[in-house]
Amino acid sequence: MGAPPKHMDVLAATDDLRRRTLVEMTQPLERLIYLASTRDYNTGLYYHHGLAARFSEEAACEALAGCHREAFEELVAASLEELVHELEAYLRSTRVAPGDFIAAWKGLEPYRVAVPVGVDSLSSELVFSNLKVALAILEARLMVRTKPGASRPLSPVQ
Amino acid sequence: MIGLLLYLLVGIGLLIFLWLLARRERAPVEGCGRQFVEARQALRTLQLGLLPENLIERIFDPEDFRYVTRVGSGDIGNLFLQERKRISLMWVRRVRCEIRNLMRFHLDYSRLHAKLSVVTEIRLALDLALLLLACRALRILLYSRGPYGARAVVGVLTAAAGRVCAASEKSLAFLNPPALESFRRSSAGDGAAI
Repeated sequence: MGAPPKHMDVLAATDDLRRRTLVEMTQPLERLIYLASTRDYNTGLYYHHGLAARFSEEAACEALAGCHREAFEELVAASLEELVHELEAYLRSTRVAPGDFIAAWKGLEPYRVAVPVGVDSLSSELVFSNLKVALAILEARLMVRTKPGASRPLSPVQ
Repeated sequence: MIGLLLYLLVGIGLLIFLWLLARRERAPVEGCGRQFVEARQALRTLQLGLLPENLIERIFDPEDFRYVTRVGSGDIGNLFLQERKRISLMWVRRVRCEIRNLMRFHLDYSRLHAKLSVVTEIRLALDLALLLLACRALRILLYSRGPYGARAVVGVLTAAAGRVCAASEKSLAFLNPPALESFRRSSAGDGAAI
């Protein structure tokens, strides 16, 4: 990464990111997971090929980081009911079997690595705690919907 | 003779007492950078991380519990209460810790730098005492009555914390970038002041 990008470039990159990529993702949870996946685990820097080509790597990184923080803040502000809906919508969008999804999320807690850098630990703990309860609610719903005998093991990763 | 010895002993004792007083460590008048940075950090954590209205509302709003009791089983309700209690206790612990940091700063250094009036200092001292008391009371209430049993105390605590933050903000105002900028502008042309 070179010199810090110009503020106008970051704004333009953010606008582009919102219009082209994030417009499809209506739920903050979906955006949070997607934006966290654009971050390099080793450097903490965000990378998006298209955005970097159109603007600069630095501007793209700042834009992705800004949108990531924004998605996280929306999650912090969400009520538990909203979070359950978001989790349900995200589950549907992944096209993974609900039982597998819940087992993986309960076992691996992938949301723990999806937190932006610099957020207060209390906010992240609140989101993790709410997600834990939301997963329990979804799991209970799944148990009710699944017919006896047709259920599959729920904890392959635990 | 005995009287003279007694006076001598009292005199030596007083001298030792004065020597100990003179040796006592005290805050340097010019201040200490680390102390300011820590106080600034504590203030930022309180203002941005722990006291935002929406965060407090989120933690202590009973609507989430009503939702859980509506849609979930007793086990999920218990899990939720356990989790929310953990988060609310974490919040109190963090607020108390940052308030203590600010209190240390005010006790040691603030008076040397900011010209606080006596009334403001008394108010600040009362608020700090009230805050520590409210933190203690809130912890007991959260343990005994759960996360939704002490909303009034949460209100008292956040109001007092807001006042302490405002007073600390004034004391640390000279660390803000615009203040530094004006200082830089008013310094020598070669910028040697900073």
